[in-house]
Amino acid sequence: MSAVGAGQGGPAGGPLFELPEELAIDTGVARRVIAEFVRGQLRQAGFERAVLGLSGGIDSALVAFLVAEAIGPERLLCVMMPYRTSSPESRGDAESVVAALGCASELVEITAMVDGYFGAEGAPGAGGPDALEASALRRGNFMARMRMATLYDRSVTWRGLVVGTGNKTESLIGYTTLFGDSACAFNPIGDLYKSQVRQLAAAMGVPEAVIRKAPSADLWPGQTDEAEAGFSYPVLDRLLFWRIDRRRSVDETVAMGFDRALVERVDRMVAGAEFKRQVPPIAKLGPRTAGVDYLYPRRRPGSARS
Amino acid sequence: MQPLRIALAQIAPRLGDLEANLARHHELIAAARERGAGLVVFPELGLTGYQLQDLAADVAMGLDDPRLGGLARAARGLSAVVSFVEESADHRLFIAAALLEDGEVRHVHRKVHLPTYGLFDERRFFAPGDVVRAAPSRLGVGLGLAVCEDFWHVSVPQLLALDGAHLLVNVSSSPGRDLASSHEVGLGTAASWRTLMRTYAQLTTSFVVFCNRVGVDESLSFWGGSEVIGPTGAPVFGAPMFEEGLFTCDIELGDVRRERIALPLLRDERPELIAREWDRIVAGRAGLGEDAGP
Repeated sequence: MSAVGAGQGGPAGGPLFELPEELAIDTGVARRVIAEFVRGQLRQAGFERAVLGLSGGIDSALVAFLVAEAIGPERLLCVMMPYRTSSPESRGDAESVVAALGCASELVEITAMVDGYFGAEGAPGAGGPDALEASALRRGNFMARMRMATLYDRSVTWRGLVVGTGNKTESLIGYTTLFGDSACAFNPIGDLYKSQVRQLAAAMGVPEAVIRKAPSADLWPGQTDEAEAGFSYPVLDRLLFWRIDRRRSVDETVAMGFDRALVERVDRMVAGAEFKRQVPPIAKLGPRTAGVDYLYPRRRPGSARS
Repeated sequence: MQPLRIALAQIAPRLGDLEANLARHHELIAAARERGAGLVVFPELGLTGYQLQDLAADVAMGLDDPRLGGLARAARGLSAVVSFVEESADHRLFIAAALLEDGEVRHVHRKVHLPTYGLFDERRFFAPGDVVRAAPSRLGVGLGLAVCEDFWHVSVPQLLALDGAHLLVNVSSSPGRDLASSHEVGLGTAASWRTLMRTYAQLTTSFVVFCNRVGVDESLSFWGGSEVIGPTGAPVFGAPMFEEGLFTCDIELGDVRRERIALPLLRDERPELIAREWDRIVAGRAGLGEDAGP
């Protein structure tokens, strides 16, 4: 494993992030491919603009930078959608991204939408009295879906496609909300591991505070992905890379030095999240069925919005 | 021999939009002529886009299609290689590359190796060709056409060279993947292709012309990087990666003769030996030979 060069070290002294050697990408090529991808997706759909949810975290910050590079910041709308418990720091980080890019931004508080369902201060909402006691998981998923609903509404007013901001690591282990944060028209970073997101973010000049801070779903104060899941991203990324991209068996990854319990646990997470990565199955009844034997590109002549 | 100017049309076809792609072909054939090219090469499925799926039947053309004839007439005075979905009289669909010369379709190669693994699903939508043959050309040398995956099978360039090709032309829609800084030019696919081209050019002592598309179909990004490699295996020209454009370079066809005299690899090939051993292996695989496996 190797860290990025000292030249990228921040004021805190250490390197900005840890980059496993086998995951290092050519960031110039990645930027080139992704810029073309973003432009191609918009052109084929007949759109010129894009909209995304900016959380203050590294994933959405990187996507904002990539989209701005591909189509110009004036065609990008970043929507910040905090809940009342969201960290003010996240908001500040999101604003620093908007300032760095000079793109359009908007603040949509989702508090009323979420509390309208779960209730607040003892008064039940649309979800009934039981919803007052809803778990953090239910609340987190609901928030993600309110943000999705907001983005798809803004997609109409801004006349832009919704850009996905989920990375490969969280998609593989299923650390996403179905029809929530994973919902999008296209995703430029869904095939990049978290470590690669960090490498690309550093190369593109995403504010250092955003790269340096611990990844978090920001559902409660002090929450971090790594504490919640019990592993570090560089280790998880390497394990997923060897298991999935390089097709190493469980025994082979254990022989490489990975903890067997971790390997088996991650395997279960990946298998358990298969459904989140696919279009729901349709019961096959007619002669031609979408996704089964009716197979067309998502965009083809005639499908662009006119 | 006069130097030959080759024009590589490294385009980004519009998926399923035959009319738009036809117009682009006409435009670039005219541009190639203006720039003094003797040969202009378009990428695999340049007339239709790659990720067609069920659109394949909608954009298919018979060899007598007037749109193809129109292109051939437009290319008069040049040699042009174009690629499209060919529909045969019995309604099989092929990924085809055609050599257009003197106002007509001079030669057609139907892709013989259809990748159906990993990100590829070609065999589901297309029939494989059954012929690998070099074609004589107005350029005064034999020309060997192949489509993308055909060059991931060493027999194809070898057959074409033995059959008289001096110029091996591979048209591709190669999707870029395996992004890693450890690869030459940052992309695993590009690194592999570059190795293959140099190897084939050297082993067949032929020119290799590789025209790869750019642009995006769905998830796939095509990386361009079209190249011309000389018969010594040394690159003559490389187009930029990911950039659309018409790129030209000049080659000396006489280099083939010089190299084949100096390094008579083709003279020393043993096709009769290969045929004999292949016959034995084919029979064995069918359970017929004396070495038939379990």
